[in-house]
Amino acid sequence: MLIVFSTIVSVIGYRGITEALLDQYNKGALLIANTAALSVNADDMDSYINSGGETQEYKAVWEDLSQLCNSSGSTFIYVIQPDVTDYEHITFFFSTINEETSYTLYDFGYVRQTTNDDYKEKYKKLYEGTSSSESEIVIRDKGYIETDAHITAMVPLKDSSGKTRGILCVQRQMENLTNVRRSYVRKVNAALVIIAAIVVIGQCFYLYRVFLRPIQKITNEAGRFARENVTTGEKLTNSVKNKDEIGVLARSIDTMEEQIVSYVDNLTKVTAEKERISTELSLATKIQTSMLPGIFPPYPHRSDFSIFASMTPAKEVGGDFYDFFLIDDDHLAMIIADVSGKGIPAALFMMASKILLDNLGLSGAEPVEVLTKANEQICKDNKADMFVTVWYGVLEISTGKVKAANAGHEYPAIKGKDGVFTLFKDKHGFVLGGMKGMKYHQYEFQMDHGDTLFLYTDGVPEANNDKDEMFGTDRMIDALNTQPDAQPEILLENVKNSVTKFVNDAEQFDDLTMLCIKRT
Amino acid sequence: MVINKRQEAGKLTIYLEGRLDTSTSPQLLKELGTALKGITELEFDLTLLEYISSAGLRVLLAAQKTMNDQGTMIVKNPSEMVLEIFDITGFSDVLTIK
Repeated sequence: MLIVFSTIVSVIGYRGITEALLDQYNKGALLIANTAALSVNADDMDSYINSGGETQEYKAVWEDLSQLCNSSGSTFIYVIQPDVTDYEHITFFFSTINEETSYTLYDFGYVRQTTNDDYKEKYKKLYEGTSSSESEIVIRDKGYIETDAHITAMVPLKDSSGKTRGILCVQRQMENLTNVRRSYVRKVNAALVIIAAIVVIGQCFYLYRVFLRPIQKITNEAGRFARENVTTGEKLTNSVKNKDEIGVLARSIDTMEEQIVSYVDNLTKVTAEKERISTELSLATKIQTSMLPGIFPPYPHRSDFSIFASMTPAKEVGGDFYDFFLIDDDHLAMIIADVSGKGIPAALFMMASKILLDNLGLSGAEPVEVLTKANEQICKDNKADMFVTVWYGVLEISTGKVKAANAGHEYPAIKGKDGVFTLFKDKHGFVLGGMKGMKYHQYEFQMDHGDTLFLYTDGVPEANNDKDEMFGTDRMIDALNTQPDAQPEILLENVKNSVTKFVNDAEQFDDLTMLCIKRT
Repeated sequence: MVINKRQEAGKLTIYLEGRLDTSTSPQLLKELGTALKGITELEFDLTLLEYISSAGLRVLLAAQKTMNDQGTMIVKNPSEMVLEIFDITGFSDVLTIK
């Protein structure tokens, strides 16, 4: 833009200078030509031509012209006659030259070809009287580089009858014009270069100050923050004061840093808290697990029965539990229970229930009594409306007689004399802790040698696969019956594998607890 | 889990659809917390209920306890599977199932 503008300005200036100077030259040259024409009498043209340049009269005119040429600073003053048939040739009759130049004179009568069409045209106009003025000017100027730019002023030499008999020409060099113009162009160019340089430097400086430096600061700060993850206390907006998008970016980075730092702080706290809870939970898991008999075989000296159990909570701690203990040498108490809900509330409720049932059981009370009393106890302080399903049974080891009662728990599976496991659809009472004053029903069944009792929580039949199907008691019975005569440990293993295979990739949804007793 | 309610004066009918388990039962418990005020007749329509876990049973039990004090509660149309769960847990003895 700037360059275009300055180019236009310099062209206008160049032309202005040229025109002004040319006008000056024109007037000067014409004045000299008119003055010179006074010395040449057109009526005497024939005698000049015939004199061969030798007569006194001719020499006097030549002297005048030569003097004028030198005194006026012209290059040439000469008189010619063009060949009027086609103006292709001109003949020189007077030819004077400035002594300070190195040009050579044309001899009297010298004939040469007309320089160019411009001259030819003007000769013709002057001879035929078609010129709009009494003189003509030819300018040879091919631009400022041309060193021999010159101007030729021509005036016709008319005799007393008004006929043109010759043309007097004054040629002046225009070195002044050339010099002035050249120096003008040089100055303009130099000024342009300087202005352009100043503008470019100025713009660079502006760009640097307004864009690059702030961006550099932002980049540095972003890099620093990415490495150190802490704020310096020095905000970016203190040093980047741009009102544009860069300012917005700086503000955003300040805000982002503050938020990330506070987020990280928060996250650190939360993580620490989580770790603490996780530690406590894993401790809780240990405590819960250690509350249940976990060493198998539990009674290595007893060969009249074998027992195995497992508990796999869905979360760190669960609400399921199994338990067994010898009330006396001949009576084995067996418990399987499931607290409603999961996690810590269920685990706390489970611990309370277990201790309660253990104490009631160890007192040697009948199963129905254990459940009834436990229900009353739990209902008394149950603010959370939680409940627990319990199957409680006592095996008389010597006879194989089992007394049991069911408080809302799953049906046990029993392998009797037919050699396969089936669900034993016992009479159900209501869950413990659900409602006060509930009555429970006690029943008995016989376990002969080799008979096996399998107890479980709803985590087994209600295990879900990724298609939302449930494992169900049928698949459980099938799994048990793959090796119905196996030891309890193997039976549990079979059920667990079957559940795992069924569930496939789905997350374990519920606690998985099993207890198995075989009379041998 | 979808819970729809219809109330006519003191009678509230709740339609349960889907699975009522550990993850969905808090939603029902929250609904019941406000909805049971001034209700004398509560009806659960379980036609579209696919499954109920012990956590779901706990919510029904809580509702039953509330209704014992202020009116009646009926459980309608449980599926065979849900009914079996009611039987196993003894809830069929405590709830009025129709």
